[in-house]
Amino acid sequence: MKKNFYLLIMLIATLAMSRPGRMSAGPGQPPDSSSSLKGAVKFEGVAPKPSRIDMSADPLCAKAHTTPVTTEEIVVGANGGLANVVVYVSDGITAGPSQPPQQAAVFEQKGCQYKPHVLAMQANQKLEIVNSDETTHNIHPTPTNNREWNMTQPHGAPLEQTFARQEIAIPVKCNVHPWMRGYIAVFKHPYFAVTDKDGVFEVKDLPPGTYTITAWQEKLGTQTQKVTIGAGESKTLDFSFKQ
Amino acid sequence: MHMTGKPVLTVAILIFMLWGMIGAAQESHVGNLVGNAKRGKALYERYCIFCHGPTGDGRGESAPYLDPKPRDFTKAVFKCRSTASGSLPLDIDLYNTITRGVHASGMPSWRPLLRQERVDMVAYIKTFSPAFKEEKPGQPVTIPTEPPDSPDSIARGAALFQSLNCWSCHGKDGRGHGPSAASLTDSQGNPITPFDFTSGTHFKCGQSDQDMFRDLVTGLDGTPMPSFAAAMKPDQMWDVVHYIRTLSTSKKHAEPKDQTDGQ
Amino acid sequence: MGSVIRKRLGLDLLILVTLFAWAQTAYGIPAFARKYGLPCSACHEAWPMLNNFGQTFKDNGYQLGNGRDAPIYQEPAYWPVMFRTTPVWHRESNNRQAVDSVAGNGGSGQIESTVTTSGFDLLGVDMITAGTLYQNISFFVQPFIGNSSISLQQAWTRLDNLAGSHWLNLKVGKFELDQPISQERSLILNNTGGIYYNYFFTPPGDNNFFQGIGFPQLGAELSGHSENDHTRYSVAVLSDSNGSPNSPSNQGYNVYANFNQAFEVPWFGKQEVGAYGYFGESPTFFQTSGGAPLPGTGTGNRGLYRAGVYGHWFVDKFDFYTFYLHGYDNVFLGNSVPSNQPSSLPFGAVAPVWNGGFVEGHYNPTPRWIVIGRYELNRMSRQANPNIRGDLGNVDIWTVGYRWYPIMSPRAGFAWTQEYSHASNAGAAPLSGKDDTHSSVLMGFDFDF
Repeated sequence: MKKNFYLLIMLIATLAMSRPGRMSAGPGQPPDSSSSLKGAVKFEGVAPKPSRIDMSADPLCAKAHTTPVTTEEIVVGANGGLANVVVYVSDGITAGPSQPPQQAAVFEQKGCQYKPHVLAMQANQKLEIVNSDETTHNIHPTPTNNREWNMTQPHGAPLEQTFARQEIAIPVKCNVHPWMRGYIAVFKHPYFAVTDKDGVFEVKDLPPGTYTITAWQEKLGTQTQKVTIGAGESKTLDFSFKQ
Repeated sequence: MHMTGKPVLTVAILIFMLWGMIGAAQESHVGNLVGNAKRGKALYERYCIFCHGPTGDGRGESAPYLDPKPRDFTKAVFKCRSTASGSLPLDIDLYNTITRGVHASGMPSWRPLLRQERVDMVAYIKTFSPAFKEEKPGQPVTIPTEPPDSPDSIARGAALFQSLNCWSCHGKDGRGHGPSAASLTDSQGNPITPFDFTSGTHFKCGQSDQDMFRDLVTGLDGTPMPSFAAAMKPDQMWDVVHYIRTLSTSKKHAEPKDQTDGQ
Repeated sequence: MGSVIRKRLGLDLLILVTLFAWAQTAYGIPAFARKYGLPCSACHEAWPMLNNFGQTFKDNGYQLGNGRDAPIYQEPAYWPVMFRTTPVWHRESNNRQAVDSVAGNGGSGQIESTVTTSGFDLLGVDMITAGTLYQNISFFVQPFIGNSSISLQQAWTRLDNLAGSHWLNLKVGKFELDQPISQERSLILNNTGGIYYNYFFTPPGDNNFFQGIGFPQLGAELSGHSENDHTRYSVAVLSDSNGSPNSPSNQGYNVYANFNQAFEVPWFGKQEVGAYGYFGESPTFFQTSGGAPLPGTGTGNRGLYRAGVYGHWFVDKFDFYTFYLHGYDNVFLGNSVPSNQPSSLPFGAVAPVWNGGFVEGHYNPTPRWIVIGRYELNRMSRQANPNIRGDLGNVDIWTVGYRWYPIMSPRAGFAWTQEYSHASNAGAAPLSGKDDTHSSVLMGFDFDF
């Protein structure tokens, strides 16, 4: 009786000392290696003309470009494809938060712009920030659900950070170069993708189930669709944004 | 089953431990003073609530008329810390800000309040954001001994001011009118101006060389002022401090004060 | 002889009480709250009573020291003026007053009777402008709006933080003395308990020009304080004109000094002790020309002092003032006899000496409530004229009251107050020579903007 009681006490003590939110289990089911959710995100209507960026304030930025540089808020490809759209599973995942991949996500400052313009990564995944420019940048994400930080990074200096919580998406700016704008979307699961210059995306290895898929664009908002995907199935899902 | 006194005592100890752990989040420690959030709440409602608001979000009654805006404690982002950028402040950082006030803003120096009162207020302020329960502050910055000032140090500092793009916000003359200055906003979206080193205004996080060094390491979170921890070594930071001193019209360098002493 | 003095004292007391009902000014200054966006409760434990933060603000020259004090940082629409008035209902009852036995008939002989008045009333209006003219130059102007004239209750300018030090501040003009507990910020407003009697007391038969540390005086004050205002000192040199400009006085100067020290006691809070003293001389007669006194030529100066110790004690939400005063006037002042006519002194005349004090307690559970209780007394230890009653001039006053501040904002102040005070003056009833008593009940709104 006494032994049981003390075991109970130890259990309560362990529970009391464990901090909330850290009890994570891996994905409940092994991923189905052949399922694929593909699609294209298109922009309806005439693509808006992006405005020119004047980089003359920093000669080191200006000289990195031979052709005019334009803003990247809405980037429409040759066939009307909308780039830099984050497509992700917003509902329907039954497994707990997954371990982030070992490989770091890379966010580069090149030509005084962020490459990629929109980065998607997992919570607690290593974020490697690279300054490939001769000039000094400061990288300043302004999250609402993560810790805000602001670091100066001269050319070549290594910088590693991470984000602990899901957030779609964290705006990133450089105070030295006010035209610089990027986004980092942080997920607690691995089922996301960012559309390429043709608006094409693919989310692989979704376990069978019914999911809500959301497409997020920095200016045009979000759109959602539901999809049911079976084991090994390949489904196509298209989104269309307009201004 | 025969209930003896021992299990009851154990359960009582357990409850006390649990309560203590929950209560621990409502405490603050500065020097050998322990602050209590309940007392801090009464003090907050007397002194702070009209600017910082009843929920600590900086939307008090006076807030629309203040520039810069009162701090939003719910975000747990603070300018004046001794911990790395992105980290929570230490209790003593909040205590020092309350004691020192923030120059050129609506935040007065609350030094006339008793030390115990200020420590109590820190405990209450921490209750506004869950971050204080979920995370711990990082390691405080160690400030090495300052090397002597010299023309060489100042020249190196000037070169760093140039190469690290300090001038893009602060301007080549340090007046705060650099090319990006007009576009700067704080993290709440309010316009914010870079510090004018030529003015007689006190630095917001302390007047001494040591305070300036620390500001360079930690950055001022919530503002465009970044941390230079990845960009400069300590010697270089001292060079920048020496250079910045030459921009100022005021000659006095205040000695750092231990904020937990008799004052 | 005795009844003449009693009558005189009774009259004096009546005049005194009426005067003080008017001069009873006390304030919280919303203009300061508006300037900085702070609520009243930041500077006032319960306005008008100051807390340590507010006292420090005042000692700094109405500056927070945050770089935003000078007028240049204020919007042009900001105007450092405040008004305060108190619409109340009050009831005054004064017993053993001398009244005609037949009302309206002056020859009908006098009897002792209780005189009671009650009704709605306005306790005067205060208008104050105060603040900074420039960084480290502060000012204060407080007109006194009387029935037929306007004069200046206070008007001074102060050079703050001289040589960059908070230990050196110079105030010049007509100003409230750095009293142990500020009369101007009394929490009680009624006719009976609204003043600190010890600050205004003059012994029976005394015609001293100087009438107490409660009156604003003309002079210059050097003051200073530590950074957290726990140590404070002030030394003032004053003309002995009792604060009346252009007044008949002489070239005499008096000195008032105050010193206090606060310390933090764990669990209890801040405790403060202090000592003060007013030392000087007052004229006993004037130079004359053709028998008529020449203004401003008071002469025949004889000495006086008022000095004592005080404390301010905190226990959680309770705080107490304790105050002690020891008073002395020279024998000529005490007997209203010019010093060049010593033969006019009554037989056995001596210098009057008295002791007085008060205890005032507050309970301040939240910034919106304060409960007040006060007991004040004065005891003549030695009468100037040994032929008069030994206890003439002794007073006992007790007061209870509370103030409630339902609305608190940085823009204006608003309070509801209820008070009761009862005073008893030994031997002051003009006819019977018994103790006469006064009581006041007051309730009403108090607002300042």
